[in-house]
Amino acid sequence: MEVLKTEALTKIYGEGESKVTALDNANLSVRQGEFAAIVGTSGSGKSTLLHMLGGLDRPTSGKVYVEGKDIFTLKDEALTIFRRRKIGFVFQSFNLVPTLNVYENIVFPIQLDGNDVDDKFVNEVIGILGLADMQNRLPNQLSGGQQQRVAIARALAAKPAIVLADEPTGNLDSKTSQDVLSLLKVTGQKFSQTIVMITHNEAIAQMADRIIRIEDGHIIKGGEPND
Amino acid sequence: MMFTDKKLLAHLDKMLEDGINGTFSESVYDETQLSKLESKWLRYLTSSKLSAQKTAQERKKLQELVSDISHQTKTPLSNILLYTQLLQEQDIDEQSRQLVDEIRQQSEKLEFLIQSLVKTSRLETGTFQLAPLENNIDRMIESVIEQITPKAESKQIKIMYSSQSHTAKFDIKWTQEALFNILDNAVKYSPRNSVIKITVDAYEMFACVSVADQGIGIPAEELPCIFRRFYRGQNVREQNGVGIGLYLCRQIIEGQSGYITAESNGKGAVFKIFLPK
Repeated sequence: MEVLKTEALTKIYGEGESKVTALDNANLSVRQGEFAAIVGTSGSGKSTLLHMLGGLDRPTSGKVYVEGKDIFTLKDEALTIFRRRKIGFVFQSFNLVPTLNVYENIVFPIQLDGNDVDDKFVNEVIGILGLADMQNRLPNQLSGGQQQRVAIARALAAKPAIVLADEPTGNLDSKTSQDVLSLLKVTGQKFSQTIVMITHNEAIAQMADRIIRIEDGHIIKGGEPND
Repeated sequence: MMFTDKKLLAHLDKMLEDGINGTFSESVYDETQLSKLESKWLRYLTSSKLSAQKTAQERKKLQELVSDISHQTKTPLSNILLYTQLLQEQDIDEQSRQLVDEIRQQSEKLEFLIQSLVKTSRLETGTFQLAPLENNIDRMIESVIEQITPKAESKQIKIMYSSQSHTAKFDIKWTQEALFNILDNAVKYSPRNSVIKITVDAYEMFACVSVADQGIGIPAEELPCIFRRFYRGQNVREQNGVGIGLYLCRQIIEGQSGYITAESNGKGAVFKIFLPK
């Protein structure tokens, strides 16, 4: 089943002489449970693409479908709610709320949506990510790797359609990076969670089931699932 | 029964919640729309439950079939292998000897295939449960090296491993089987007089066992496919194999919350097994 699909996705910044086509006619599709990596150098358009996939920015033209829904037909407020329910984000800079403890950070998006927390599921996620003993700690009492593990747990807890990870190990040393990537991989497998990760690092991309290559705003390889 | 919008929504929410928890029962029996809705909801829940039961029954039938196949093919296959051995001991001409040897190889292949299929099927259906416990990785690796050494020595392949004291959570028997399959492939696809290197790296959450060989390697475009069932690479077609070993490895490792990767830069291949700590 296809969870994510783009059609001729294009983003142009500026006008006239200063016009820059950051993303040009990008077509890709990601299946349920796939772990896909979007790889490109800086300036290749991978961040622009990720922002469109996550509904954080609107395209100049083209479409993004998440679970069959054409997300840019939604007005801003509806798009915000859609994003909260359907997309889990993991950023390079962790983005945890400093005044909330680990558990509160993890369930925050669920409570924001007014939903009851699925305790059994959340506890399972917390266990797999090795956070069971640090649930009451504040983010500043954790190492970088531990903070990113909390961010992964937060992204998974609401059972989103897709987890979008933007250079998830960009701020971590190589040993900690390996652990964080392993956890992304294992939780993806365990919960059949669709994950799209962007990275400039080839070695990191090798962890994924599929590599989508982007260059100068064009998807040059891997846009469609392997058969 | 009359409801305000707020009360109605709360009632519908409870109906859904009870449905999810499997505790739903109808609360009103009258001519209202709500009563009809409750009745319809219960009908839906019951039919979902019935279909889940049906799936469970079908799964059970499949398990029985697999168990029958494995049981019923075991004896004839062992007999074929036995008679082949007896035939090999006879005084036969060179051409017949070659044919008999071919029968033996194909029968061994069939035996491995059936055994592996039975194992994958039993893991998939949950007949075999993996029991990951905190174990010493060293001991597991050393015992697998011991098993593979005769085969490696027959090709003068050296297996290098310096023991380090790391632990992880894994099922010893099954993980040994996965690692054996990886090493068996490494030996199979390595040239004579080469080296296979095993290393262990420990991280905070995982331990990684790497097996690096100096064999034929794996083309980049085939790397995403090699763990699929019955996939066989272009450059291994001449070697004996059925394309089930790596699939079984992946099932075993993923079944205990680990994962397995393959890398190749043209000079040999590196397989990494990540086990949770």
